[in-house]
Amino acid sequence: MGRRRRGRIARGLSPWAAALSYVLLGSWTAVVVFPLYWILVTSFKLPVQVYAGPVYVPFVDFWPSLHAWRYIFVDLRNDTLRPYVNTVVVALTSSVLALVLGTAAGYGLLRFRYRPRLGVVLQFVGSALLVGVAVGLNVPWEIAVPAGGGLFLVLWSTTRRRFHRSMANEDIALWMISQRILPPVAVVIPIYVLFQRLGLLDTWVALIVTYTAVNLPIVVWLMRDYFRNISLELEESAAIDGASPFRIFWSIVLPLSAPGLAATFLLVLVFSWNEYLLALILTGANAQTLPLTIAAQNATRGPQWWYMSVLILIMIAPVIGMAIALERFIARGLLVGALKG
Amino acid sequence: MKRRLSLRMAVLWAAGTLVAGPAWAAGPFEGVSVNILTFTGPQIAEPLQRRAPDFEKLTGAKINVITVPFSDLYQKMLTDMATRTNSYHAFVFAPQWLADFATPGYLEALTSRVAADKALQWQDIAPFFRNFSAVYAGRNYTVPVDGDFQMVYYRTDLLAQAGLRPPETWDDYLKIAAALDKKDLNGDGTPDFGSCIAKKRNAQSYWMVWSVAGSFLQSQGTRQGSFFDLDTMKPLVGSEAFAEALRVYVATGKYGPPDELNWDVGDSRSAFVTGRCALTVDWGDIGTLAIDPKTSKVMDKVGAVILPGTHRVLDRKTGKLVPCDRTTCPYGVHGVNHAPYAAFGGWSGGINAAAPPRVKDAAYAFLSYMSQPAQSNVDVTIGITGFNPYRTSQFKSLDLWLKAGMSRAAAQNYLGAIEASLNSPNMVLDLRIPQNQRYQQVVLDTAVAKLLARQTTIDQAVTEISEGWEAITNELGRDKQLKAYRETLNVQR
Amino acid sequence: MTTGRPREAPAVGARASPSGSVLTGPARALTARLGQQAKLLFLWPAVLMLVFLSIFPLFVSVYVSLTRLEFVPGGFALRWVGLANYRKLLFGIEQEHFLGLLAGPSPVQQVALGVIAIGLVVVLARAPRPGRALSGLLGRSLWAVAGGAVAWLLARTLLPGGRPGTLVTTLTYVGVGVAVQYGLGLGLAVLCAQQIAGRRFFRVVFLLPMMITPVGIAYTFRILMDLGKGPFAPAWRGLGLAEVSWASDPWGARIAVMIGDVWQWTPFMFVVLLAALESQPPELLEAATVDGADRWQTFWQITWPQIAPVTATLVLIRIIEAFKIVDLPNVLTSGGPGTATESLTLHAFIAWRTLDLGGSAAVAYLLLLVVTFAVVAYLRLVRRRLTEPT
Repeated sequence: MGRRRRGRIARGLSPWAAALSYVLLGSWTAVVVFPLYWILVTSFKLPVQVYAGPVYVPFVDFWPSLHAWRYIFVDLRNDTLRPYVNTVVVALTSSVLALVLGTAAGYGLLRFRYRPRLGVVLQFVGSALLVGVAVGLNVPWEIAVPAGGGLFLVLWSTTRRRFHRSMANEDIALWMISQRILPPVAVVIPIYVLFQRLGLLDTWVALIVTYTAVNLPIVVWLMRDYFRNISLELEESAAIDGASPFRIFWSIVLPLSAPGLAATFLLVLVFSWNEYLLALILTGANAQTLPLTIAAQNATRGPQWWYMSVLILIMIAPVIGMAIALERFIARGLLVGALKG
Repeated sequence: MKRRLSLRMAVLWAAGTLVAGPAWAAGPFEGVSVNILTFTGPQIAEPLQRRAPDFEKLTGAKINVITVPFSDLYQKMLTDMATRTNSYHAFVFAPQWLADFATPGYLEALTSRVAADKALQWQDIAPFFRNFSAVYAGRNYTVPVDGDFQMVYYRTDLLAQAGLRPPETWDDYLKIAAALDKKDLNGDGTPDFGSCIAKKRNAQSYWMVWSVAGSFLQSQGTRQGSFFDLDTMKPLVGSEAFAEALRVYVATGKYGPPDELNWDVGDSRSAFVTGRCALTVDWGDIGTLAIDPKTSKVMDKVGAVILPGTHRVLDRKTGKLVPCDRTTCPYGVHGVNHAPYAAFGGWSGGINAAAPPRVKDAAYAFLSYMSQPAQSNVDVTIGITGFNPYRTSQFKSLDLWLKAGMSRAAAQNYLGAIEASLNSPNMVLDLRIPQNQRYQQVVLDTAVAKLLARQTTIDQAVTEISEGWEAITNELGRDKQLKAYRETLNVQR
Repeated sequence: MTTGRPREAPAVGARASPSGSVLTGPARALTARLGQQAKLLFLWPAVLMLVFLSIFPLFVSVYVSLTRLEFVPGGFALRWVGLANYRKLLFGIEQEHFLGLLAGPSPVQQVALGVIAIGLVVVLARAPRPGRALSGLLGRSLWAVAGGAVAWLLARTLLPGGRPGTLVTTLTYVGVGVAVQYGLGLGLAVLCAQQIAGRRFFRVVFLLPMMITPVGIAYTFRILMDLGKGPFAPAWRGLGLAEVSWASDPWGARIAVMIGDVWQWTPFMFVVLLAALESQPPELLEAATVDGADRWQTFWQITWPQIAPVTATLVLIRIIEAFKIVDLPNVLTSGGPGTATESLTLHAFIAWRTLDLGGSAAVAYLLLLVVTFAVVAYLRLVRRRLTEPT
């Protein structure tokens, strides 16, 4: 309770100012809520009621109908359930995975000193590239990957002493974070071909892996900033007592950063839940996610607003629930780190 | 006793086989599972899903209807077959895409199957669909289940009130639109529109404009083609005939809604069936949408007519517009050249050539089943199926339409327009050469969109389109494209 | 892996060596070894993932952008065409689509170009940092060229007579959109940071738009803004605007897209700024009140410096995301009227859909370049200033 009071503009407001604030806040609330209200109301409308011009209030302007809900839940039972399950599984799994990997990476980049030699890095990237090209050219990955790994090891063991310039933590961090700049549309084709060669198209795995990779930069960025502001003394004393880095990370750092973790998790979850472009490329009928189902309602007859509204509603219901529950964490968690830039 | 029993069994078995219908060589397809890909419905997908269990009862084959968003159907089909993933065994798709699927050999040629299939009643299918739409390079690749072509729809009550006749030419169309524009056409107190056409970019506008242009450009029958010169592959869009068509297309906007540039066919259709438009250009769906109380406010007030034509057509030798007479317009009606446009081609079923043989048999059997008159004639009267008439038997008998809720007059009018269009020897075949999307969806659509947005003039648009098309043709190889164009029109030289 | 390397440098802030440790030899060695492994284990999974799923596709995309797709019997092939796709976008038949219609010279333009030229000279003439004369000059001439090119493009397309292409449209979306979102978010955050009842309610409600899938939002706004079926249609007609449509006017359509974008992303700004405002130490604010400062002064002198670093990061994140806008222009207007609302991602997406894979990859690459340039420019010009200690 005490923490909550911190930071408020600790000044009473004149009734005038309070009223003005409420008016402004109320206006924006109306702006936010009205489209949602419209979606809700449209889900109960018949096509002719949507086409013939706006009707606003059920029972007053028009007689609501459950036809859209019935179609989505009864007629299309499996075709609605399957995308829903897909969305839940893919979003949750990829968010957890991104959180795990990204938090570890963010912590590592902060507490350890990495000095990969630039030459080694280039060799590694080059080998990875060769592996990728080989897989793209239909070489089975069971051969390509070990071959690439072997090539890299050979190169590395013979030439490593020659390289002196190395990258530092900041470079690595910057590289990771800059992956976010990459527009997905630039990489859709290669990613499609990659998963097609691996036989993973239209599966959960493809989406999970892709979303994890796409969201890693954000997690690294946010968690690294968050960790920066955690007091070091605890970690130091634990280190002195001989605890391994794993131990420190697991028992001390993570519990302390629960708010940050929760906030980042929610952010990443929302991104994965709502993502459209990559899901479009990588899925067919089996792994289709809800955003695709929504977009699919725009068929040859034009957007079928009533079905779309139902789908949008069932899609945002869980996320909003989570947002409410985690709202406390979002505010506190997301930004203590980012504050210092 | 035994003999009588076995006789009865034999009779029952024979009756059962007769009821089963289609005469395929193989027996029942017990244990076979067929994946059919189409787009998310309910249009097109619904009848497939509805009849799949019946088919399974008849033959034992399990039909899985898989749907993807409409805008991705083409991509999904192509990548599935091109990358040899082959997760789909059959497709219900647009024959306009045959150019990209048949050339590389992805689709199974169905010529022999169709020839051996009596139950399909192939000759009942309108000549255009069976001779052009389902055929590519002389071989049959699809089984039509839907007949897509455009007509003009009008409000019978409004035209009667104003003492106007349904439009025969595009000038008539404009006159009617002008007369009824800005009047209140549906009694809600707000002024409505004379003409509503789906002019949105990346939607259906590039078909709508061709519905207007077709009658200017093609007059000697389907085989003449309307896109390119048959000898030189020069785009016909560079002619004054096309410029005239563009003028008409732009002029319709004067009598249309202010945001017509943002209307796709969903908007134009919904506006028409809620009474906001006097005229519209559309595929066959409006007929059935207009009689559905869930969607329509103009029950029994809708008429259809074959696409309006022109009094002047393009003379290919001179590149100029010449008046219509017996030589220039051999198929003219009352001196008007009509060219109904089979835009998109009419959803049809095709089979993946790489599917296992037994699966292919089962898939063909299902597609045939869907297309046979017993099923098809019912489905085309139901609006939600998205299937529009394409068989002669479908517009010969009024009963099913009356049963679906059309009044006699409306049914006669609607079916009369369909019959006139389907029987027209001058129907326009949609463009089906390799990379036709670049010609139509990229160059034509963008140029028309810019013209409608007044970013360019008609002359600039004409130049832009013809130069764009020439660039594509040259890039892909002029001879190759010419050969493909001739093949799609079944032109042997 | 570790022989020959200098011993593990101590973690930031930790003591140089554990003293008084109770662990004996082997256990300590184990801990030390675990430390080495831990270090790698922490970082490697993430790195591997990124290398395979971001780097590798990046290189392949470069290759694709230098080819054209064609169908051949049996499948399809990518035919090498070199820089043809890029040339088409920058100088060829797609130039008007990509860069825009470059208006002919006019007095206004001459003046604008003159101002730009002067600006460039000033930038170049600034004294370089000591010791880095050449690289400094090189760096700054690079900036000058790039910045000048952008300014020249903006001048020639936005002034009357020109028409913006997808590049300038995207820059507009980013610039105006992020600015409006920030302003609104800050205003809302300031209001919500006050001691008023129902703050929690507002906080939750304001968060909602961000939670909805962008495709859904795009369709929602499409029907909201429809002039026939939308809820505002009667009001629009009542204002006598029945003949006017935002969809037929290029700037009207762009504003419509930006309205949707602002609605969706203001919550993001709001939430972050609210937390920043709330974590100000109250003592400072109380001291200001005691000193008799009014609200404006308090805000500028005390609050702003506190939230400036947050602002910097926040705006950067939003800029990066804003460049990728695609759903709103696609659904609202399909990039229309003409190509007025088409963003770069939409441009690439449409090209991809019509199987122009090479062209799509080329646009995507140019987008990557533009975003990188914008980010680096932002980092240099703005972020540094905002995060410098006052």
